[in-house]
Amino acid sequence: MEWGNTLLDDFVLGLSGVKRPKVCFLPTASGDADHYVVRFYRAFPASACEPSHISLFRRETGVGDPRSHLLSQDLIYVGGGSLVSLLGTWRAHGIDDALREAWEAGVILCGGSAGALCWFSHTLSGFHEGPAREVDGLGLLPWSCAVHYHEEHGRREGFLEAVGERMPAGYGAGDSAALHFVGTDLAEVVSSRPGARASFVAPGPRGGSVEHELPVRYLGTPAIQVVPEPEAVAA
Amino acid sequence: MSDGHVVRPAGPVIPPAPPAGEPRRILAMGGGGFTMPDHDQSDALDRFVLALTGKTVPRVCFLPTASGDPREQVTRFHERFGDWPCEPSVLSLFHLGRDRIDPVAHILSQDALYIGGGSMRNMLAIWREHGIDEAMRTGWERGIVLAGLSAGAMCWFEGGVSMSGGAPEVVHGIGLLSGSLSVHLDGESERLPVYEQAVAKGALPPGYAADDGAAVVFYGTNLAECVASRTDARVMRVAADGVGGTIEAPEPVRLLPGAVDGGRSGIDEPSHEPYGVSEMRALRAGRHRWD
Repeated sequence: MEWGNTLLDDFVLGLSGVKRPKVCFLPTASGDADHYVVRFYRAFPASACEPSHISLFRRETGVGDPRSHLLSQDLIYVGGGSLVSLLGTWRAHGIDDALREAWEAGVILCGGSAGALCWFSHTLSGFHEGPAREVDGLGLLPWSCAVHYHEEHGRREGFLEAVGERMPAGYGAGDSAALHFVGTDLAEVVSSRPGARASFVAPGPRGGSVEHELPVRYLGTPAIQVVPEPEAVAA
Repeated sequence: MSDGHVVRPAGPVIPPAPPAGEPRRILAMGGGGFTMPDHDQSDALDRFVLALTGKTVPRVCFLPTASGDPREQVTRFHERFGDWPCEPSVLSLFHLGRDRIDPVAHILSQDALYIGGGSMRNMLAIWREHGIDEAMRTGWERGIVLAGLSAGAMCWFEGGVSMSGGAPEVVHGIGLLSGSLSVHLDGESERLPVYEQAVAKGALPPGYAADDGAAVVFYGTNLAECVASRTDARVMRVAADGVGGTIEAPEPVRLLPGAVDGGRSGIDEPSHEPYGVSEMRALRAGRHRWD
């Protein structure tokens, strides 16, 4: 759901192996923001898939049983926002367990920012006051993770330090780079932009941490001309 | 406001004095206030929130957590409180990374907290993650007025009846106040039977059911009075009768200055909200299809 760039969306739709996959959007981390839901339906139109979304703030208006709806999907897309609020809300509705069930049943799970961090056991989340904070995710993937790795000041440094001191080995993903896991192992890193970067960071043999830059496969020429985001244009 | 017949002119709102040495006060509304303009055409309850602080220029912070911090509610809050003698602010737990506010410190620096309605289950889960529930108790004990409607009213009690799971169901609150509360007594008819049954069976302790525009005021843990922004807004006391049913009795309600006449308040007339708001609401509720 990047502005004017469908490469990552096309990639996850292709992963399903289904001609018209069922895709459910969970905008929980944004507080189910209207504009985000609209953006999802624009990015995942009915011509390409069967889109739906679940609003956990308006349960009386949506699908009756979120668990069975999630289990019937080919792809679940989790939007960004506040990781802490996301996890708390999910637990209150049993969505955490439903997502694990869906994952084990072969439903593809994907998302950006908080929607990426949530799958890991340990994360560095910046979506609150003060410096980035360590937050435990759902733990489907037994790794640590940091996002906006090169774009947000201090995020990479904080992650290197956290892995060196207490967090397990894991992945730092820059914007437009996506970590593709099969089971709990990294299959490859793909990107929607040339030059997008990602790293594997492990505790060092004598303390500290060691960072390995990962190969990134650029997914090709964007189908649509890339237009700058309305907010800041990252260098 | 514009649509309603004003029974008494808006003026200074003087709540009865609390017992000496009792700083704790809670205003729990069945509905109404600035987030529900279709159901409350008076600003009396919102004025009353400020009056309860006893401050000339109180700091009042709005928490729209239960609705996911929608922009619409934030805008309405500033429209209502922006011109009044107060220091309004909004605490969005979904945007802490953007706003760079320490939520607990901000809460504890206020004179009044105004909690919006929505999903009580989500609100309490998110509050727990951010340590807000503990901050609320601390703030209450220090004399910060805790006010709110719907989910933001029931949360102070042991429990209430919430639509958080789709259908009305018992949801437990923070429990600063003993007893229970059910809201939107007049606005959402499906809640009361669930509430009555829960109280009758002991799933919820006895408590109150309040109309939109009606509120219960607690000093410490005791009911001080019931107030209303509309002449026909009710508060009912609901208790188990011991043989599987309930005993219900209306509580006396004090009409606030600036309250409107319920018989002529026009709550069933078409709303006069600007074009697009209903559309956004429907969209928010997931009733639109874009495909």
